[in-house]
Amino acid sequence: MNYQKQEIKQGITLHQIHTENFKTNLYAIFLAIPLKKETVTLDALIGAVLRRGTQEFQTQEAISKELEGMYGASFNCGIEKTGDNHILKFYLETLSEEFLPEPEKLNEKCLSILFDIAFNPLTVNGAFKPEYVEGEKKNLKQIIESKIDNKAKYAYDRCIEEMYKNEPYGLYKFGYIEDVDAITPENLYQHYQRLLAECKIDIFCSGRLDELETIKRIKENENIQKLQERKPNYVVNNEVTENKETVEENTVEESMQVTQGKLVLGLDIQNTEENSRFVASVYNSILGGGANSKLFQNVREKQSLAYTAGSSYLRTKNSIFIRCGIEIANYQKALDTIKQQLEDMKNGDFSDEDLENAKRLITASVDAITEEQDTEITYYYGQELADRFISIEDYKKHILEATKEQVTELAKTVQVNTIYFLKD
Amino acid sequence: MKIVESSKIKEKAYIEKLENGMTLIIIPRKNTKKKYVIWGTHFGSVDNHFIMPQTREEVFIPDGVAHFLEHKMFEQPNGTNSLDTLMALGIDANAYTTNDHTAYLFECTEHFYEGLDELMDYVQNPYFTDENVEKEKGIIGQEINMYDDDPGWQLYMNALDCMYQENPIKIDIAGTVESISKITPDVLYKCYNTFYHPSNMTMAICGDFEPEEISKEVKKRLVPKENQGEIKRIYPEKEDKINQKEKTVQMEVSIPMFMLGYKDTENSKENRMQKHIAIEILLNMIIGKSSNLYQELYEKGILLSQPDMDYEFTDQYAHVLLSGFTKEPQLVKQKIDETIRKMKEEGLEAEHFERIKKKIYGDYVVEYNSVADTARMFLADNMKQINSFDYIEQFESVTKQYAEEVLKNIFKEENEVLSVVEPNK
Repeated sequence: MNYQKQEIKQGITLHQIHTENFKTNLYAIFLAIPLKKETVTLDALIGAVLRRGTQEFQTQEAISKELEGMYGASFNCGIEKTGDNHILKFYLETLSEEFLPEPEKLNEKCLSILFDIAFNPLTVNGAFKPEYVEGEKKNLKQIIESKIDNKAKYAYDRCIEEMYKNEPYGLYKFGYIEDVDAITPENLYQHYQRLLAECKIDIFCSGRLDELETIKRIKENENIQKLQERKPNYVVNNEVTENKETVEENTVEESMQVTQGKLVLGLDIQNTEENSRFVASVYNSILGGGANSKLFQNVREKQSLAYTAGSSYLRTKNSIFIRCGIEIANYQKALDTIKQQLEDMKNGDFSDEDLENAKRLITASVDAITEEQDTEITYYYGQELADRFISIEDYKKHILEATKEQVTELAKTVQVNTIYFLKD
Repeated sequence: MKIVESSKIKEKAYIEKLENGMTLIIIPRKNTKKKYVIWGTHFGSVDNHFIMPQTREEVFIPDGVAHFLEHKMFEQPNGTNSLDTLMALGIDANAYTTNDHTAYLFECTEHFYEGLDELMDYVQNPYFTDENVEKEKGIIGQEINMYDDDPGWQLYMNALDCMYQENPIKIDIAGTVESISKITPDVLYKCYNTFYHPSNMTMAICGDFEPEEISKEVKKRLVPKENQGEIKRIYPEKEDKINQKEKTVQMEVSIPMFMLGYKDTENSKENRMQKHIAIEILLNMIIGKSSNLYQELYEKGILLSQPDMDYEFTDQYAHVLLSGFTKEPQLVKQKIDETIRKMKEEGLEAEHFERIKKKIYGDYVVEYNSVADTARMFLADNMKQINSFDYIEQFESVTKQYAEEVLKNIFKEENEVLSVVEPNK
């Protein structure tokens, strides 16, 4: 296998993926902590402040100049929800040394600048630099406000928010406007230090890299040496951790200036058996996975009710989201058609061919995992957070093993939790 | 077969002009699982007036036909849809229409030749009826509505509207609900017979293939067609002036969006690729991440992130686009104008220029990470008669002096337009 992992210190894990499929090397650091209303906004601000300046490169300009000179190495940081964890992500992508127009040593610089940004921020009197914090607070507010700009995404986010009201996963990953003002350079820095002391840290290196050299570089890096051992505080997420209660179907409608209505249905899967997530994935693929799916065929092709119609399986929460862009007047017709598909699934009203097609669609995407560096990293990180390991080969095997009976049985445990409709 | 090469990134492309006039480009990539094929016709939304080579008939078509045709190609006489057939094989298939070309593609890890059978079958066998054309109008109508709600798309269309008076680039690729209502099977067949002739098409394939072998497989699947003469495309006269300076509309957005456009009125076939590289360097020097201007605007909270930058060009149009989010579009424009003026007067800073050149090199190489990006780039560049490797092999030939010249010729205030989408009042 081209993947290996090892502990650098307790709670800090290095994952290495050796691959020669790319022109680039990709490095990533993930910091995981539990999602909480009190800290979600602080978490969201940290990455933005960190990339403003480090002890070594004190301004964003200095960082950018350094990266441009490294043949446009690209640094990115972001924040994601994975299950009930909030994950701070830092990425650095650079060219592999053998594709440079002139020989140059880039690999060493990469790790050092990435660690510098994540672990060695510029501080003033024991706090983040005030100008950076103030500037990023304003930006964060704008990001939160811009939630409405992409209507399809907004409708999806709102459905999640309603479906997981008062639960960690219902939180917006960028936090809340009303919590931004109370943030100071001091309390943000305190939060950062607490986070750094408790979080689960995973470092990924993918590309044409020498494994032993990479380990040595990481172990010798000052910023890594400064980090304490920890019993990481994060939420393990796998089949058996998502227990759901039966709830009554909740309908939420909102109005905005839109020409096309956005309909989102959030579905619960009440099944926590071992390996049920592979079956759920097949179920979702039959229901709304692609052009052959029931939703695409019935909502779009047969009735011309929508341009987009499909569903996605949110593995970490064991839920499915159906998303359609429809003519506003067709709301009831579209909803009825969708519900009919859910009934048909319960009655096993799908063919062996549908099942095989669905599996092929999934296995094709499993085969493609190793064809993108960040996808491969995300795959292994998902295994890491689930606290169990399934190789890509076994993953595929589990998908192929799903039977029609299993899918039908699972279908019976699928319930509509929330119907969200954005109209004019 | 002609072989072109990039020694810097150790890649090769095999280019073959087939007897029927079709261009085949194969970019072999050892050890990858993914295979990607894209087949494009040089027919896009701007091609709305032409003379059919066989009948010499002059044809005007309603807006949105190229895109409509793309949707309809998947439908088969036996009632099946090729997209479904491909999906059923676990193959990710798609199609898209741009201003200057339409392309059909798929990507897979297994069942490649079955996929190729289907792709080459449906692209070579159109099936349009009154009934299936009518049904599509509903689906495309929804797609048009979706774009109506998309502030980014409106911003772009308005920028084009500012830059051009008559040029068909202004036409929405999907047309309007009204224009597509006029589409009939007859119109679709006329366009199909004219533009889907092999001599007007290019196929690009990337994956773990032996070039000779895959070339044979492609040829085997081609339907014989009689040669046809050149398609005469009729476009309005080139315009040397912009249409209007500014356009602002209101939509439901949280923060205004701006797009600055510079119409390239000196667009010509010469040195296109060098010019393209020079423009990308210049845009990065003007407002890229390490530029003084970006730092200033970012620190003042006027820009949230680096604007998107692009140079779009064909024989019929060429323009630079710069877009982003800001509470103060006018101020951003004014600052960019000042920066450009200063750069023209003082010349480019040598160290900055060299650093950005390195960055641009990296950007080009990264494109070769995915088989899909690689094949797509070769197809799109081929439609413009450009060899994609030249961006990497010839980037060194772009000098500071040349970039300074491009700066003067392209970034002219009289050719500058501003499109804004602002929140509802």
